[in-house]
Amino acid sequence: MLIPVSISISVVIFLIVHLLPGDPIDNLIRVGSSTEDRITLVLKYGLDQPLAVQYFRWIGAIFQGDFGEAIVLRRPVADLIAQNLPYSLRLGGAAFAFSSIAGITLGTISATTRSAIVENIMRGFILLGSTVPGFWLALLMILFFAVQLQWFPVSGAKGWSSLVLPVLTIGFGGVALVARVTRVALLDVRREDFVTLLHAKGLPSRTILFRHLMPHAMLPVVTILALRVGWILGGAVTVEFVFGRPGLGSLLIRAIGQRDYPVVQGCLLMLALTVMLGTLIGDVAQAAMDPRIRETKK
Amino acid sequence: MRYTIKSRLLAGITLIAAGFLSNAVVAQEVTIAFPADELGATSYNPVTSNNLNSAASLIYDRLIEQDADQSYHPHLATSWEESTDGMSWTFHLKDGVTFHDGSPFNAQSVADWIPDFADTENAYLVAAVASVEVIDNLTVKFVMSRPEPSLLYNLASTFMGVPGAAAFDSMGDDFGVSGAVGTGPFKLDSFAIGLETVLVRNDDYAWASDLSENQGRAHIGKITFREVPDQSTAFLELKTGGIDLLLGVPTPFLEILKAESNVAVIQMPGTGINYMPINVTSAPFDDIKVREATGLAINQEAIVASIYNGVGAPAHNFLISSLPEADVDPALNVSFDFDRAKMLLDEAGWMMGDGAVRSKDGVPLSVKLFTQNGEEFTTLTQVVQAQLADIGMEAVITVFDSSTIRDEYKNNRHQLAVRGYDWNNSDILDWFFSGKRLGYPNVSMWEDAEGQRLNDVAMEDSTNSDERIANFKAYHEYVLSQHLFVPIYQPTKNIAYNSDRLSVPDPVRGTRFRSQTVLDMAVVE
Repeated sequence: MLIPVSISISVVIFLIVHLLPGDPIDNLIRVGSSTEDRITLVLKYGLDQPLAVQYFRWIGAIFQGDFGEAIVLRRPVADLIAQNLPYSLRLGGAAFAFSSIAGITLGTISATTRSAIVENIMRGFILLGSTVPGFWLALLMILFFAVQLQWFPVSGAKGWSSLVLPVLTIGFGGVALVARVTRVALLDVRREDFVTLLHAKGLPSRTILFRHLMPHAMLPVVTILALRVGWILGGAVTVEFVFGRPGLGSLLIRAIGQRDYPVVQGCLLMLALTVMLGTLIGDVAQAAMDPRIRETKK
Repeated sequence: MRYTIKSRLLAGITLIAAGFLSNAVVAQEVTIAFPADELGATSYNPVTSNNLNSAASLIYDRLIEQDADQSYHPHLATSWEESTDGMSWTFHLKDGVTFHDGSPFNAQSVADWIPDFADTENAYLVAAVASVEVIDNLTVKFVMSRPEPSLLYNLASTFMGVPGAAAFDSMGDDFGVSGAVGTGPFKLDSFAIGLETVLVRNDDYAWASDLSENQGRAHIGKITFREVPDQSTAFLELKTGGIDLLLGVPTPFLEILKAESNVAVIQMPGTGINYMPINVTSAPFDDIKVREATGLAINQEAIVASIYNGVGAPAHNFLISSLPEADVDPALNVSFDFDRAKMLLDEAGWMMGDGAVRSKDGVPLSVKLFTQNGEEFTTLTQVVQAQLADIGMEAVITVFDSSTIRDEYKNNRHQLAVRGYDWNNSDILDWFFSGKRLGYPNVSMWEDAEGQRLNDVAMEDSTNSDERIANFKAYHEYVLSQHLFVPIYQPTKNIAYNSDRLSVPDPVRGTRFRSQTVLDMAVVE
């Protein structure tokens, strides 16, 4: 399943990038270079070839581990990705951890208290989190926490303090969603007969919650979290730009502006693979947690 | 018990003292944010790179510096002579200059460096240099294959900062990435692509150009150049002290910055103009009268006053006013003349009807007005639209991103466009009006035999700079007479800095913010 999806993704990425109007050579040549210089560059990067030929050349090289050379940025794409990926992973990983931990905790609290106020606040959060654009929320965060309160640096990627605001920005939407799913799942499981039995046996409610309810309730949460990987990576693209952090997102935005085809293709491919990997890990985790899924997949 | 209190006190005092000490160290450090057009440099190799930022000018010195009035000043070359036929140049070099690795700078360094340009994209800078001869230790002669009146201009470019030959050869592709050796006032300490560049002072530096007051080593010990892609973020960093100096502030931001008590702003004369090319192949602009009328409809002075609050200068021809070739016959300069614009349109047959838009043979005078996204151009385009409406021309605005708009030009889908360029040499005329580059950069789509002849003369037949000026002036005047574009505005280059932290010389010398200014900058005690 993963292989046909990867191939179709690579075709789509390649086509989107190449069908955009504009070309990288215009971003490369400076005042004074001649038309011959331009032709030399077009030939050097094979941009005169039919798209199909260019595609197979690119995908062929990828299979040999060669992402090509950036046209405008002038470095091997693999190097650029290797330099930027750790920043993105740190940000994405922290945002993922934040939204899962905070989300599950909040969801559990709201399910155990069963208060309507908490539920309404949660619903408002989800609405905000999924509608407020990341780049705007990022500016608000900067204005409040970095300019007014001066708790964290405005931008950059130095030390852990600079990670706080971007992580909050990206994780914000996730926290609310995960909290809601956790709450609904917990409330559902609660109504099962075995829970009544456990209570009747006189087990303390804390034990029931953590030992018996949680494993059941976590199934839908894991599904949601696996899907969140894509959200987090997508959100990180603009958030990195606003916070002036290096990373795949900043690299991608710059490369799109300059139509640096190999870099855009490389970044998009990496993002797509990460999303697929996230979903795969989600499936595996679900299977590990639920014997029923393991059975049907056999 | 007493003992613990004592030791706590002691620890406290030590901490406070350490705080003061670290403050003293921090005081010599400055953080600068690159302007938007300098982001994304991947190397500090001046020979092979196609994108160099301001930090590169601090690592490498040039033979020659150019001032804001476009005059040339000695730097590593103390003086130079050009032969009368333009076929050779002799440069006398400064004595006692050393590279960061300790090796001396001399005639051999120049002779080793120029051939490195072969087969790079920067080869055109020295394409006319046939060979470099070492006359003596401090004298070097460029033997030319053809006269190159732009040689001094090229030598003053950042791309012609002199690298240390030994390091350049031994480091190969890593030169400019993991390390760099030049003769400049700062050494490359670390470079994280896309994030920041850290430079430390070259304590041996004693060979500044006469554009700096300070002839010794820099006052500032360490500079961190940061890449902040988002303009709003960069502004907030300046406001909160995360950045001490911001290069390339967009003019619309100036009013906001001036309101901050700790921010000072310096405006340098710019090195480009904003203008509106007219597509001469697209009706109704195939009629020269309509083109002239379009130019006369634009009120440059009103634009400078209303949009830019008087910052910058109106443009009346294609070149920045500090270039001698901009000094054309005043009758050819394009200035606002409302009545004449209306008269010309009447003559061309575009008559005012009942409505607000003129028409000819039942066709309304409605044209396409393109621009690229970004505050810089969109506001200006709206004002241009309003001024065109006053003469009865309806302009419909479309906004593109900078790569897409070039595709529109190449496919000849445009009529009018508001855009800008940044280049302080008159050969920009060749770039934008040569018939060999129709579509883009020749957005006016202008192909003309006489124009090409004058272009060839200016580009190839000038033997020295006086001839070159005369030839380019003639070409410029001919371009103006054909009404191919409307000059609008000469923007300033704006620098904002934290005045509580830094002192920066004003006016900034040179065409750009470079080492001469950084040498004079100091941290406020």
